Amino acid sequence: MNKEEFLLQLRTRLAGLPPVEIAEREFFYSEMIDDRMEEGLSETQAVAAIGNLDEIVAQVFSERTSKPKRKRHGWMVALLIIGSPLWLSLLIAAAAVVISLYAALWSVIVSLWSVFASLIGGAVGGIASGLVLALTGHFLTGMALIGAALLCVGFGILTFYGCKAASRGAWQLTKKTGVWLKNGLTKKEAA
Amino acid sequence: MDVQLKRGLLDVCVLAAIKDEDSYGYKIIKDMKPFLELSESTLYTILKRLETAELLTVHTAEHNGRLRKYYHITDKGRGRLSEFAKEWDELMAVYRFVTQEEKGYE
Repeated sequence: MNKEEFLLQLRTRLAGLPPVEIAEREFFYSEMIDDRMEEGLSETQAVAAIGNLDEIVAQVFSERTSKPKRKRHGWMVALLIIGSPLWLSLLIAAAAVVISLYAALWSVIVSLWSVFASLIGGAVGGIASGLVLALTGHFLTGMALIGAALLCVGFGILTFYGCKAASRGAWQLTKKTGVWLKNGLTKKEAA
Repeated sequence: MDVQLKRGLLDVCVLAAIKDEDSYGYKIIKDMKPFLELSESTLYTILKRLETAELLTVHTAEHNGRLRKYYHITDKGRGRLSEFAKEWDELMAVYRFVTQEEKGYE
C-alpha cells in the first residue's frame, strides 16, 4: 500500500469523527511516513512500518468510546409497552395520591389563614360596634363587645405567628420534594 | 501495569523527550525506543492530551519542502517533570516497603 492509499483508507474508516480530527490524524501519519522515507525506507516499507490500519482505527474508536452508551434492548422496549396498562395506571394512582396529600396540606394552611382573617374581622367589627353601643347608652354591652374584640386581637396575633410558621414549613417541604424529584429523575437519566 | 500509572509514565516520557529541544513525532518515537516501544496512534493520543493540558505547545515549520509539526515543552510541562521526580521518590519508598513485606513473609 502506498501513502495515498493508506491515507485515503484512514480517512474513509475514520468517517464520523469531527473533520478537524480526521485532518489532524491524516497530517500526523503523513508526516510519520515522510520521515521514515527520508531515512531511506521505500514508500511501501514506510507505510507498513506505521502498523496495521485495522488496529489503528480500532484504537482511535476505543479511545473515543471509553464510556459506552447503555443500549436499550428491543425486548426491554416490548416489555415496557406490554406492561404499560399495569405500570401506567399504578404510576397515575401514585401521582394522584401525592397530589391529593399536597392539596390537603395546603388546605390546612388556607383554613388557618381564614381563622386569622375572621379573628381580625371580628376584632375590627367588635371594636366598631362596641364603640357605637357604648356611645349610644348601652355602655356595659359596648364595653363587653370591645373586650371580646380585644380577645380576638390577641388570638389573631397568636394565630398569625402560627400561620406564618405553618406556611413556611409547607413551602420548605414543597421545595425539598421538588429537589428530591428532580435529583431522582436526573439520576435515572444519567444511569 | 495499571492503566493510570502507565498513562502517567508515558506522559512524562514524552515530555522528557522534548525537554532539551523541540522535537517531532518520528524523532520522539525513535528517542524513546530504547526505553519504551510506542505506536504512532498512542503517541498521537499522548501529544493531544499534553497539548490540551498545556504541558506542551505545537508549531508547524517547513522541512525539506513539506510541513512538520514540532512540539515544545511549556513551563507547566517542566513543572510536571520535576513533580514526577518527587513522586518517584515517594513511589520508590512504597516499592521498598512492599518488597520488604513480601520478603518478610517468605
